Amino acid sequence: MEQHVMNSIEQSLNNNQPLSSQTLASLRSLIINPTTSDSSLSSLLDALTRSLRLTRDSVFLHHCLKLLTDLSARRPHLSPFAVDLLRSDSLFSSASPRLVGESLSALLSLTSSQNDIDAARFVSLCLGPSVPVRLWLLKNAEKFAIRESVLLAVFLGFTRDPFPYVRKAAVDGLVKLCKNGDFNDRDVIEGCYCRAVELLRDAEDNVRSAAVRAVYDWGKLLVISSEERNKQDSSDAVFIQLCCMVRDMSMEVRLEAFEALGKIGLVSEDILLQTLFKKVLGINKDKIYKPIKVFEISASAAAGAFVHGLEDEFSEVRMSACYSLHTFTVFSSQFAGEALNLLMDMLNDDSKIVRLQALNTMHHMATCNHLKVEEIHMHSFLSTLFDSCSVIRSATRKILKLAKLMKLELFKLCIDGLLGNLETYPQDEVDVFSVLFHIGRNHGKFTVLMIEEVSTELEPAFGGKLGFDSTRVAAFLVLAISAPLSNESDVCGVPSRIFSYAVTWLGRISYALSDVMNRETLLAYLSKCSRSSTISLADFKIKEALPTVKGDMPSHLCSEVGSPVSMPLWQKGVETFDHHHQKLFLGKSGTHLEYGLRECDELRQSVNLVFRKVKDLWSLVQLGCTNEALKAIRACKEEVASFTTDSPGSAGAVAFTLQYLRVIKLLAAVWEHLMPTKKLNCYGVGKLELLLGKLDRRLREIRNKFIGLSKAEELQILELIVVACLLRLSKIEICCYDTAMKKLSSIISHVEILRKGGPIEPSHFIIEVKKLLNDIGSSSGGSTCKPLLFKKLIDSFSLHQFVLGGSPRHINAELEVPGNDSENPLPFIPGIPASIPLAITLYNVLSEHRLWLRISMGEESTQFVFLDLNLIRSSDEVREFTFVAPFYLTPKAISFALRVSIGIECLQENVHQVKAFGGPKRELAYLCPEEEIFLCKSTKW
Amino acid sequence: MFDCGMHMGYTDSRRYPDFSLISNTGDFDNALTCVVVTHFHLDHIGALPYFTEVCGYKGPIYMTYPTKALAPLMLEDYRKNMDRRGEDEQFTSDHITECMKKVIPVDLKQTVQVDKDLQIRAYYAGHVIGAAMFYAKVGDAAMVYTGDYNMTPDRHLGAAQIDRLQLDLVITESTYATTIRDSRYGREREFLKAVHTCIAAGGKVLIPTFALGRAQELCILLEDYWERMNLKVPIYFSAGLTIQANMYYKMLINWTSQKIKETYATRNAFDFKNVRNFDRSLINAPGPCVLFATPGMIVGGFSLEVFMQWAPSEMNLVTLPGYCVAGTIGHKLMSGKPTKIDLDKDTQIDVRCQIHQLSFSPHTDAKGIMDLVKFLSPKHAILVHGEKPKMATLKERIQSELGIPCYCPANNETVTVPSTHYVKADASETFIRSCLNPNFKFSTYSSVDKSYLDSKYSKAASGLQVSDERVAEGILVVEKGKKAKVIHQDELLLMLGDKKHEVQFAYCFPMHTERLQKTRTEELPSADTLLCDLDKCTLINQLSMKLSNELSDANILDLGEQLQVESFRVSICSKNSCPHRLSHSVHNDSESVFLCCHWSLRDEKLAWKIISIMKSSSPHTT
Repeated sequence: MEQHVMNSIEQSLNNNQPLSSQTLASLRSLIINPTTSDSSLSSLLDALTRSLRLTRDSVFLHHCLKLLTDLSARRPHLSPFAVDLLRSDSLFSSASPRLVGESLSALLSLTSSQNDIDAARFVSLCLGPSVPVRLWLLKNAEKFAIRESVLLAVFLGFTRDPFPYVRKAAVDGLVKLCKNGDFNDRDVIEGCYCRAVELLRDAEDNVRSAAVRAVYDWGKLLVISSEERNKQDSSDAVFIQLCCMVRDMSMEVRLEAFEALGKIGLVSEDILLQTLFKKVLGINKDKIYKPIKVFEISASAAAGAFVHGLEDEFSEVRMSACYSLHTFTVFSSQFAGEALNLLMDMLNDDSKIVRLQALNTMHHMATCNHLKVEEIHMHSFLSTLFDSCSVIRSATRKILKLAKLMKLELFKLCIDGLLGNLETYPQDEVDVFSVLFHIGRNHGKFTVLMIEEVSTELEPAFGGKLGFDSTRVAAFLVLAISAPLSNESDVCGVPSRIFSYAVTWLGRISYALSDVMNRETLLAYLSKCSRSSTISLADFKIKEALPTVKGDMPSHLCSEVGSPVSMPLWQKGVETFDHHHQKLFLGKSGTHLEYGLRECDELRQSVNLVFRKVKDLWSLVQLGCTNEALKAIRACKEEVASFTTDSPGSAGAVAFTLQYLRVIKLLAAVWEHLMPTKKLNCYGVGKLELLLGKLDRRLREIRNKFIGLSKAEELQILELIVVACLLRLSKIEICCYDTAMKKLSSIISHVEILRKGGPIEPSHFIIEVKKLLNDIGSSSGGSTCKPLLFKKLIDSFSLHQFVLGGSPRHINAELEVPGNDSENPLPFIPGIPASIPLAITLYNVLSEHRLWLRISMGEESTQFVFLDLNLIRSSDEVREFTFVAPFYLTPKAISFALRVSIGIECLQENVHQVKAFGGPKRELAYLCPEEEIFLCKSTKW
Repeated sequence: MFDCGMHMGYTDSRRYPDFSLISNTGDFDNALTCVVVTHFHLDHIGALPYFTEVCGYKGPIYMTYPTKALAPLMLEDYRKNMDRRGEDEQFTSDHITECMKKVIPVDLKQTVQVDKDLQIRAYYAGHVIGAAMFYAKVGDAAMVYTGDYNMTPDRHLGAAQIDRLQLDLVITESTYATTIRDSRYGREREFLKAVHTCIAAGGKVLIPTFALGRAQELCILLEDYWERMNLKVPIYFSAGLTIQANMYYKMLINWTSQKIKETYATRNAFDFKNVRNFDRSLINAPGPCVLFATPGMIVGGFSLEVFMQWAPSEMNLVTLPGYCVAGTIGHKLMSGKPTKIDLDKDTQIDVRCQIHQLSFSPHTDAKGIMDLVKFLSPKHAILVHGEKPKMATLKERIQSELGIPCYCPANNETVTVPSTHYVKADASETFIRSCLNPNFKFSTYSSVDKSYLDSKYSKAASGLQVSDERVAEGILVVEKGKKAKVIHQDELLLMLGDKKHEVQFAYCFPMHTERLQKTRTEELPSADTLLCDLDKCTLINQLSMKLSNELSDANILDLGEQLQVESFRVSICSKNSCPHRLSHSVHNDSESVFLCCHWSLRDEKLAWKIISIMKSSSPHTT
């Protein structure tokens, strides 16, 4: 058979006749047949090549194309030849655009790498009359390596196409281009934005919904490229523009509009408030925005956007509107208050998902301290406690845990609601108890008043018997015992016998409160409280000491108990409903569920909440609102600084967080210099260099001064270091290319090592960097600087949320020269080494660490002294000792001052430094602030 | 004719429209092509049986399926009420049946070709079940008549939904021409709270409603709440119209909101789980309950009967519909809180129960009207179905904010609106072929003259613009006695049999070439006026080098004796009296040569730029 077919091919080729369709069909059968030998297949390929030269008949070409695709799909080793044949001009230069399109798609499916079709051919194919080919090319444009400027022109042009699907593909292409591309030209951005806005009025739903995305994405670029003082206005204008689309007749468009609205980070309060009222507010009456010179939009267009969204017929839109609301409630408490009125109504929605999303948004408001529940809300809010769906009930209870109620009536209503919940759904007992406990702690005074009211119910009915079967009594007991733990001062008045009643319920109560304290602690606490007749703050101190009496057993009372600074609102704040976060968090907490590790759980949660905030803030930085971002980071720092560090292990976490915030702050400051609007002048270069230096220092510290970080955590820090390297590389003015590249590759290889060691996945960003490094490495020389490439990479970076799983230990030191100040200097003799007695305390320093004393006099002379830790016998955690350091180069002077500090050698840094005086080989990260030591020429010698 | 309703405020002949305005002779069949009814409310359909059966209209009537199904119920109910009040009957039960036989039902988005000119299409309007907006196209003129519609969905109906159409006219209702309503959720919350508090305290709730629409909406709301809250309190429907209507609703699932349609697969939302039939023995049964009863304004019938029984207890609750006609008990309850109501001379009802007023309305508000008009962007708008002063306010808003001419004609007033008229034209093959290929152009600020920005076009101009000019290349040719034809611009000359004329600019100016000249005079004294070819070439060559220094991006072609940049050509003028030479420059200077330039209109700027370069460079030319 094989032979027969081959012969007939030979024959017709020799006669210069093209292959008949019958022959082609038999060729196909040969290709499909797995037993056909390779030799005949390759001769078959030859035959095809030859016959391609003979004819240009489109039917034949079509067959040929099919054969080639089949062949390369079935025989991978022959595929390169087939691809070469496909690439050859015979198919591409065909008159039929359909055939060209097909051969292109065949090429794409066969080769995984980017395809080199030249721009001119691409454009001419696009401009050809065949609409399907045009559509296909537009949709797959990014698979060809074509310059962005060409693509931009093509996409922008085809937004004018009469065919709606071509328009849609073009707009989609613009969106993709905007995300991946690097556009600094204001004219281009304005042009694309304007075109997208025009398309919002397209007659086709599909085009409109694509245009909404385009308006959002190009709007973002528009905001970035605006001058500093116009940023707010441009962002507002984009927001209003999107608001216009929430009344579209098509559900997809509305959905798209709300999704986009939720992503805009920066909107002024007036406009936000306007979205909650259908009537145009006085303040917005005549407000006109001009994001672009020739283009204006009135603020009144935003009127009632969210009202409409929440009233929408489709639950998807309602849910999306609810979700979008939650991003804005962070910014403004007034907006949050007004939005709450609407959200409360959503609790009557007929769709369960919408109700749940409304509750989640409220929860988000509560974590931001923007939830102000009023009396008129109470009915619908508390009615969710009776909802037949348990998820909804538990979401409501979660909010109640955080709620701050202003009035006693509201408090009573809540307690009644919870009791009702317990009565209707006994299965919720554990959670209800826990909520009662939290609510009681948050509202100490109200609790006491409440308990007084119901105390008769709690008393043994008769014969000294407690109503053991009454869950209601148990609920009140839980409420009562929470009162002394309240953060409000002066909450005494819960009769001590109540605590002894509570002991009888120990099992159930401790089960419910397992997230706060364990059974032993609870028992100890209850018995302590029941013994003393009055409970005062003084008692807390004793109580606090309780766990420590027991020795090494870790305290299960949360760190917040009794501490003056408490943040009840942060307690559960980390439970986020963002699916992504939830997954992330669950994944983390799963490994840390061991009971022993939970001592500073609450602190960790608050810290993680700060990390989450920082992540959210990053979008501000990317938008170019650096000042706002810096302000917010500063606020975060203050917040973290106020966290208590009493419990073991918490000091490390707090120090780590502070350090992280410092890094991010610097990163944000550097980022500002990358904005396209920022023109780098010479002053700027110096400043940027300074900032980068500082950033490097901070990063070195965060990498070297903490031990006990998990691999995932370490990876995230490494990622930041990579960003810092790239930042340096992207600025050609300041970059020392070789050093930076060396550092970058060493970091990346470190990432590799980490990855091999355990099941962690580096982020997409890291993978991209790695790819780039490989590319640069493989290209010849490697000394050519490609700042634009790096710049593009940096743009693709977005800050991930840092999740602190364990408790890192902070390596630090205290250094002191007892009794030395400018009045009481140490004696020295010029030219003869002086001895300096130093009282040193080291924390968490391991014996493998290499510590150095850095002693410097003025700017000119610096001397390093190695601290041999093996000579100091003490535990790892705290080492306290006195060390006499020699200082050799005493000057010929009456008196002088030295600056001393302790540094740790950064063992992970591979870049060696050559230092004089036999100092450290690598960079140092300093563990304590510099101490000034005064010396004076000795008079008695 | 859109809609055939009646005025509910009159009981005499004024309640029907003045049909004589359509045709004096009563020949309605020729005057009207068809009647289109948007929904089954009496103010939109009430006069239909009278018009068809009494006045004798025999043409087609179009309405949606649900309207066709439910309209007889409404009409029959109305007829019975008239009967009860002892008014003279305008039409009989048979009339209604006969009238309904003439009705042609249509589906949503179904295009009906009524006759060769008229096309109608129904769009979903919300409002009540089966309500539709109608798109009508007569010839090239297109319009939309909205009927009553609602832009926000309620518990059982969706929001109005229409495509973006090219319209000459929109006729929209304007019941709430100036009101902007709050979200319906607030009203729902109040209602649920009132009902819940009442039944939690063991009271009975009486909900007098109209049979269609509101009853179903409230019932779905309650049913959903019951489900969520696990309530077991019975909900009753009084026998009669409501149950029958529920049956229709169950069949017309397709016309309800998305949510109900979605859940239909598992459960019909109108299959109320908690709803039972009521019978009189239950009126005084102990325990809480909720009862839906007709008629809405407690004018009589079953709702009055129950009201009399329940009103004296303060535990009970009566909800009132948003609107009650003066004189009804509903109206009395709404205006203040009476403790006693005199039913007639002998009976007095002691009212101690709680009163809750519902304010649900299925009409869109001012913002909804604006949104719809903005979405449709017609060339003209007409407001109907509203109160005159408020309509005037809305009219002003539409004109000023949307820039659409708007009218609100009074009864019997005629408004004429210009309509679109298309001329059919043939297209040449070249034109069609050129239309197949995209042909877009970009323009930017830089290439646009600054004065352009100041002109009236400035509003549309932006930094970077793109336009597709494929149609702009067409030229419409209307020849006498022939059909209009669109041809491609390249074909025009061929068709007219004419030659192409082009405007050419020419300019001849002297150039000083002192040193060049001097050397030459020594060698060739006779060649004063005529330069040899070689010299010409060197001069041109020098110019070319000069130009390429100055104009880096221009494509300069050196053709030996002349120089070409785009359409600009320059050569050395050999004539003594060149017609392009300006008079004042004619002073026969032996030390200069004349350069003669030609260019066409499109390169005018470039030409002057080159000339100025050449002029400025002449002293330095060696």
